[in-house]
Order: sequence, then C-alpha cells, then structure tokens
Amino acid sequence: MAAENADVVARHRRVVRAGLGAWAVLIYAFLFVPIALLMLFSFNANRYGTFPITGWTLHWYEEALSNYQIQDAVQTSLQVALEVTVISTVVGTAAAFPLVRSRLPFRGGIRASLTLPILIPGLLIGVALLSYFTNLFNLQLSIQTAVIGQAVYATPFVILVVASRLEGFDRLLERAASDLGADTWKRLRYIVLPLIGPAVVAGALFAFTLSLDEFIITLFLIGGHNTLPIYIYTQVKFGITPEVNAVATMLIAASLSVSLLAFATPALGRLARRRLRTAWSVMGSDRTA
Amino acid sequence: MTSSAGPAEAVVRGAGAIRARPRAVLTSRLGEYAGFSPVLVLFGGFFFAPLVLIVAYSFWQVVDYNVVQSWTLDNYRYFLSVPTYVRTFIATLWMTALATVLTIGIAFPFAYWLTRYVSRSWQRPLLLLVIIPFWTSYLLRVASWITILGEGGVLNRTLEALGLIHQPLSFLLYNRWAVIFVLVYLYFPFAALTLFSALERFDWNQLKAAMDLGAPPLTAIWRIMLPQIRPGVITAVIFVFIPILGEYLTPQLVGGVDGVMIGNLVVNFFVGAQYTRGAAIALLITAIAVAMLILFRRSLVLEQVYGR
Repeated sequence: MAAENADVVARHRRVVRAGLGAWAVLIYAFLFVPIALLMLFSFNANRYGTFPITGWTLHWYEEALSNYQIQDAVQTSLQVALEVTVISTVVGTAAAFPLVRSRLPFRGGIRASLTLPILIPGLLIGVALLSYFTNLFNLQLSIQTAVIGQAVYATPFVILVVASRLEGFDRLLERAASDLGADTWKRLRYIVLPLIGPAVVAGALFAFTLSLDEFIITLFLIGGHNTLPIYIYTQVKFGITPEVNAVATMLIAASLSVSLLAFATPALGRLARRRLRTAWSVMGSDRTA
Repeated sequence: MTSSAGPAEAVVRGAGAIRARPRAVLTSRLGEYAGFSPVLVLFGGFFFAPLVLIVAYSFWQVVDYNVVQSWTLDNYRYFLSVPTYVRTFIATLWMTALATVLTIGIAFPFAYWLTRYVSRSWQRPLLLLVIIPFWTSYLLRVASWITILGEGGVLNRTLEALGLIHQPLSFLLYNRWAVIFVLVYLYFPFAALTLFSALERFDWNQLKAAMDLGAPPLTAIWRIMLPQIRPGVITAVIFVFIPILGEYLTPQLVGGVDGVMIGNLVVNFFVGAQYTRGAAIALLITAIAVAMLILFRRSLVLEQVYGR
C-alpha cells in the first residue's frame, strides 16, 4: 500500500517536473525569439524587415556603418556613458562607505533617500530636471544636462553594489593593518581597494550599460542631440528598418562581449595569478636548486 | 554587519575609544561622513531640488507659456474634470496591476523549476540566460514586437503562409492587450531574478515535511513556502509595478491610440509646454509609487535584486 502510494507520488513528481521544464523552455523561447528575429532580419534582403526571406545580404550593415546620423549617435552615447560611469562610480563608491560603516542616525531613511532615484518612475527625474534646467535656470539642454540626469539614475545602483560588498567586509583586517602601522592611505590601497575592487568594477559596468540603454530621462534632457536609443526611437516610430536591425545586432554583439568580458575577467585574473604563482614557485625552486 | 561583530572587535573598539582624544573623535566622526558629500551635491542639487520644484509646479500655473507662481489646485482639478484623463488613469492602474500579476505568475513557476529541479552547476548559467535580454536595448526589445505582431509582421506572414488566415490579424497590435503583453516580456527578468534569489534561500525540507504530513503540494506552497519568501515576492512586485506605472515607451510604440498610459499624458503635457499640468500628473504617479514603498518598506530587499 505504502509502496504503491510512493509510486503515485513519484509519478506525480515526474509529471510536475516535466511540466515545469516545458514551461521553462517556453519562457526561453519567449525571451529569445524577438531578439533572434531582429538579428535574422538584419541579414535579410527584404527591405521591410519581415518574412519572407528574399536573400542574404550584408548590405544593411554597410548602410548602417556609413550612416552619418548613426555614427554621431554612437559617439554621443559613448561620451555620455563614459561621463556617467565616472561620476556615478566615484559618487556611489564614496557614499557606500559611510552608509555601511558610520554610526548613522536614521540609517533606514538615508538608505531609502539614496536609492529613491531608482525607486520612483524615471519619467519623473526627466520632467523634474527638465523644468529645473530650462525654466528655473534658463539653461540650454545639452549632452551635459543628459549626463547629470543619467548620473542621478545610475548612482544608486553603484551604491547598492558597493555597499553590499562592504557589508561582508571583515573590518578586523583594517584594524590589523592599522596595528601593524599602516596609515589610512596604505589601508585603502592594500586592504580595502583589493577587497571591494570587483564590486566597484561591477558597479561601473552596471552604470555604463544603464547609461547606454537609458531612454526616458535622456529624451527629456538631451535637447537637439541623439544618443543611440533616441536615434533608434525616431526611426522605429515609423516601423523598424533593416538598417536599425543591423544596428541592433551590432549592439547586442557589443553588449554581449562586454558582459562576457565582465564575467570572464575575474576568472581570467585568477587563472593568470595562478599561472604566475606557479611560474614563480618553479623559478624559486630553480634558484634554490 | 555589526550584529556579527565578535567580542574581539568589541575589545579593539574599546581600546581605540580609550586612546582617542575628544577632538580626534570629532574629526574622525566628520571624516566618517565625508563620503556622503559628493552624493549630497549630486542628489541635493539635481534630484531633490528638482523634485521640490516639480511639487511646486503642480500648484502653480502656466500663463502664455510661462510658469507663474500663483498657488492653486487647478492642475489637479483640471485633470479630474476631463473624463479621458480619468479613464486613462484608471486604465493605467489596472493595466499595471494585471501586467504585474502576470509577470510574477509566469516567473514563479520558472524560478521554482530553476531552484528545485536544476542542478546547482546549471542554475547560474540558466539564470544568466534570463538576464541576457537585459543587455540588449530596452527600446529594441519593445520594437521587435512590432516586427512580430504588426500587420505585415512575422506572425501574420507565417499564419498566411500556413493558410490559416487570409487577411492579416489587426488586433495583435495597437491596443491595451499588446501593451500588457510587451510589458510582461520586458519585466519578466526582474521578477525571475528576484524570485530566484528568494527561493534559493528557502529550505526545501520544510515543503517536503509539509507534504509528508499530508498537505497537497499547492497548499504546502501557499502556506509554508510563500510566507517565508514573502519579502522576495513583494520586492518583485514593487520592482515590476512601479516602473510599469511610469512607462512611456511601450504604450507609445505598441499601444496606439487605445493603449495610452498615464506616462504618455505626462510627456504630452510637457511637450505642449503645459508644465504645471504635467507636473500634477507626474506627481500622482509618484504618490502611488511612494505609498507602495512606504507600505511595504519592511519587506523590501534591494540587495536581492542588485547586490550581487
């Protein structure tokens, strides 16, 4: 009886497992079909960016690469992203320290206000800064105003990433260094930075990718300039062209390689260090021999 | 972090306190907070000050394309007096709620599958696959659905080629349902990620124990698992709900005339130089978002989403 029951349970479990597995497959299809189609149509000779496939071509890539507006948009995007990354990383990392370490009154409140820019709709940051710059200060909208808006949005992410790393940080290490005579600078250089370095890099990459993709704040603040998302927006309002598909494919390839690099760097670094250490010990043993 | 401080650290701290002179304590205390100064400038000058301005705007007026500082409730009154706006507002609320429920509903079985039935070494790569769409442009992910669902789009062309339809289906795009569908697509990774990290910490033995004691699986999930992963679920809900509430791009691209959301109204007002009216509507959205944040503040775990 009990064995039979167990059998039913086991069968039931298999069914649930298979069902959930099928669900997961469907989800992956749902996630990737649109992206795959974008890439597919970038090689399709059909100029309407849809089926049928009328032939394979790289023509759209040529068009995209020689398009002056696209070149300009890419350049603007990169400039904005770099400036945003520098500002957000510096500001965010600096803020993470007191947030985690000092005896703060109202820590919860301070934490909340530091993360508020990503908790409220981005639209509000856009319109608020637009009114602030143009109506209150009569400033001309420019790349710089967009950079400020994006930096406000990206900084909380850096704070969160770095703060969570700092929280797992054993402060006794610093005490020990200090007891051994290391000054503030040395503690920072040899103890703190190596330990939180990966989080700072992760935060910077986070800020960079967020900036490249940011749309709504930029739309309000960049004035007459185009970042890549803004340019693509002006294009897709009238339907996606194969040219945009080509840009999309290159964009996906670029962000995938950056992300893979980000994931691979720590592993590669470890590998390199291990190799070096092995080489060193081999050399060392040579010398002693 | 302080809760895990051992007695050793307490001793070290005590010794430090005895050695330090009062003035040194004061400067070091100030030094402790020095890290906040850049963020104080950035957020104070370019986030909180503009927010205050926009709040003030919502109570001021535009006269001849200029904002005039005469205090009034007219902007809010105007919004409530135009039936189309009120309808859009209500539609935005239910669309956002529905999209959130669907997103979580789709993501939960997925996260369950990933934590329960996938071996540990495969969990990370499979999760990474879910996040990859995040690294492709948000705008393009919305736009690609136009390519799929449009009248000359992939779906219609395929159905025509199969002989299933003779005229393109036009209801696939440019309505509220298309907006909800694309929103679910956009925000799924957020929900999956958050739910995964919540489930990852769950002790599955408890679920097994509940079922061994005779609870049907769904009851066990509802009564044993959900209460424990509640913070994760609430975080997922908030992180899907709030951005959708302020969505502009998705309804703009796939919503057509019928699919308009409140974000589109805000943008239209600002583009039309009706800043004060736009400000009032933007604040309405923000008020809802902030109310949710305050209501659920205890359960919010930001680190679960971003801190890894």
